[in-house]
Amino acid sequence: MGKLIVVACGAGINTSTIAEDTIRERMAKEGFADVEVKRILMADIEGYLTRSDLVLIVSMMKIFRTFDVPVIQGMPFLIGSQEEKNVLLEKIVDIVKSK
Amino acid sequence: MTLEFNEALIAFDVQAQNAREVIDLLAMRMHAQGLVTAEYGAQTWERELHHPTGLPTKPFCIAFPHADSEGVHRSTLGVAMMRQPVIFQNMADPDEGLEVSVVFMLANRDPEEQIQTLRNLAELFGQPEKLVELREQANLQGVETWLRRELRLG
Repeated sequence: MGKLIVVACGAGINTSTIAEDTIRERMAKEGFADVEVKRILMADIEGYLTRSDLVLIVSMMKIFRTFDVPVIQGMPFLIGSQEEKNVLLEKIVDIVKSK
Repeated sequence: MTLEFNEALIAFDVQAQNAREVIDLLAMRMHAQGLVTAEYGAQTWERELHHPTGLPTKPFCIAFPHADSEGVHRSTLGVAMMRQPVIFQNMADPDEGLEVSVVFMLANRDPEEQIQTLRNLAELFGQPEKLVELREQANLQGVETWLRRELRLG
């Protein structure tokens, strides 16, 4: 079965597109052909929580609740140094590998 | 698709009371060139209220206001260099106000079409020494030349 990473932001426009693209590029580099990276509106998150292929939520916003899958704060994709971006990408690779 | 960027879309040494004034100023400049509709400023402000775009970059904060593609005739970037900071709420934590010194307003037809510009902006936002370099530009021409080079706008 494939693995789904959702990238959530307030309005699903520019901010999540940057994170989505950065993560996709890394997944391709790792050769993870079965990983789907999808940007969504935070308001639409409910519809994805029931999906059994969901492995990770990357949120560009502060999160005030818990989820059954890991959540990563994705703001460094927008304003972090290259090193901070790499740390996040390593984390994501580890989570994908462990699922 | 190219991104429209020119000197008239940069506001230098801006004095504004609040975020709304800055957004309106840049939207008017865009509208004057026929790049967005007359309502684009109001539309962007409306979105800013619900989905703020202040970013806690170092060593000073920036903002990245944008609305959806409705109202955008041609993708464009407007930039305001503030004389004094204005408050934008933090994207990651809307309860927090940030003192913003530079405003990047990206009007997009489609974010995927502008992905390279978005990536270049994110690269810039993550480099404090680059942001300082931008703020230290002495005049409008300096800002334009610097942004053209650093964001590879051609």
